[in-house]
Amino acid sequence: MADNGTSSGKGQFDAAVRENRLIGERFYKLKLEFFGEGAEAFEGFRPGQFAQVDISGTALPPADSIPDELRDSAGRDVLLRRPFSFTDVTSDRGRTWAELLYCVVGPSTLRMTTLQAGDSLSVIGPLGNGFWVPEGKKTALLVAGGMGSPPVQCLAKMLAKDYPEITPTAFAGAKRAGDLPFEGRMDEVSREIGFVLKEFGRHGIESIVATDDGSAGFKGLVTDCMVQWLTGNSAPRKEMIIYACGPEAMLAKAAAIARERGIDCQVSMERRMACGTGICQSCAVECRVEGSSETVYKLCCKDGPVFDAREVVFSDRE
Amino acid sequence: MAGRVDISVEFGGVRLGNPVVTASGTCGYADELGEFMDLRRLGGFVTKSITARPRKGNPTPRIVETDSGMLNAIGLANIGLERFVEEKVPVLAGLGIPVFVNVAGETIEQYAAVVERLAGEGAIAGFELNISCPNVKKGGITFGTEAGLVKEITAAVKAACGGKMLMVKLTPNVTDISVTARAAIEAGADALSLVNTFTAMVIDIEQRKPVLANRTGGLSGPAIRPIAVYLVSKVYREVAKDAGVPIMGMGGIMTASDAIEFMIAGASAVGIGTASFVRPDCAVRVVEGIESYCERHGIGNIKDLIGSLEAG
Repeated sequence: MADNGTSSGKGQFDAAVRENRLIGERFYKLKLEFFGEGAEAFEGFRPGQFAQVDISGTALPPADSIPDELRDSAGRDVLLRRPFSFTDVTSDRGRTWAELLYCVVGPSTLRMTTLQAGDSLSVIGPLGNGFWVPEGKKTALLVAGGMGSPPVQCLAKMLAKDYPEITPTAFAGAKRAGDLPFEGRMDEVSREIGFVLKEFGRHGIESIVATDDGSAGFKGLVTDCMVQWLTGNSAPRKEMIIYACGPEAMLAKAAAIARERGIDCQVSMERRMACGTGICQSCAVECRVEGSSETVYKLCCKDGPVFDAREVVFSDRE
Repeated sequence: MAGRVDISVEFGGVRLGNPVVTASGTCGYADELGEFMDLRRLGGFVTKSITARPRKGNPTPRIVETDSGMLNAIGLANIGLERFVEEKVPVLAGLGIPVFVNVAGETIEQYAAVVERLAGEGAIAGFELNISCPNVKKGGITFGTEAGLVKEITAAVKAACGGKMLMVKLTPNVTDISVTARAAIEAGADALSLVNTFTAMVIDIEQRKPVLANRTGGLSGPAIRPIAVYLVSKVYREVAKDAGVPIMGMGGIMTASDAIEFMIAGASAVGIGTASFVRPDCAVRVVEGIESYCERHGIGNIKDLIGSLEAG
């Protein structure tokens, strides 16, 4: 069954924090619960869609627990909402839970570390278009670079659940072991493909880890790791699809690899955005126009964040 | 609640049910915010800037957040006049509140042509002349900073308006905003809106480069509000009050209290801009807050609030 990765019924909802748990050096999992209309709206959340979370009213942690590298910028005022995708969304009898994986990188995510069970957050969503599954696919390569992993994790679950005819394999890359946003000791994982990451293993999906410095798994770029795997796999390219989310340079490489081999590829893009609903026009993604040398700007929030890789003119500025 | 307090205002010949209006560029072309609030509860709607031809806009990054504000350099990305007429005007016609189309261009002729084409549309109550966008090269800012050009373009566009209301949006990036305000009024502006964004820059200190691809952008949000309040108060006192020309005040309004400050300073209407990005229903909340302020202070008619700043 093909679907188009969209859902309807976005809105502004209050979510209750159920859990906020440290899972690695700087990674946290925040569990949110939606009720009523919010539960209904987010029940339709598609992997790759996102939500805009208002952090402006959340307190900073005490000064002595602020990491050195953030001390200078920690007090910066937060005005705009922050866009996040979810790693997992589940629903049961009128309630919906969404799991948000975040990395502490600046004033907003630093504030998020102080959220506690019972706190309330304003969330706008579900926004944008998620990944979609074209007809005839039997092999899916899930490529996650660094903090690009949440939508890929969410997609893994959907493929395992709804698409038994597709065999996914996950490739997770980062600069070093400590930058891999997964639970468990990353420096101890296998260099080989297997049930390496439990985030994928729990859905029966094999994975492999790649780090630039070799501190975990395959030493090198995650895209090189993927090329190696493709070289040893003779499945028809037409039946394959690459789903990627991560830094733009990684997406550009994944797109090039896919193009050279005639493999379909979808990329989840990231842009600085203010509203997330198509109004501010900040999050422009340069896209090709079929049959023309001209390009147009589409909006990451509304036309994406997931795009067909053939369409995107990758940039080195963002 | 409503009924006891009259919060309707006369604005340059157009009656607004209340003083709260969406600011151009922050609420889309028509009904984009309709999913988050009932637009009919607003006093009016100002569209994003429309130009004669479609505009692609600037390369990214187009925005960056700063303390209590943000810089944008969108570059007037818009679908252009023809698509606007075909796709958006019919939607605007159904909004049920006064609609003002924000118009931009690179030459006086382009501005006039857009207004002339739209003047006959019954759905449109008036126009806002964007002569103050800081992000378009050869564009609006040069018009908005020179009194002679403000006069020329205002007169030319007014002549093309077909009798509809014309509001001129002023840039704060000038030595004396009263000079450009006066020029606009002398050339026939029915109302003024102020302020547009302040030209600003954020530098990435690791790369020693501006963050925005356009290098500079327009600063908006709460960071500019006290300056905007001051400029509204100045223009009201020095020019607009005596001329009987109403002001739409804007710049960092996030709450009803912020809006009330602008009204006390002399604004007859207020524009909600950046706040809509964060709270898409902000404008409606401001309407409710203004109503309850009036009730609390025994103000039966909101006109008594406009320009009520005490000498202090």
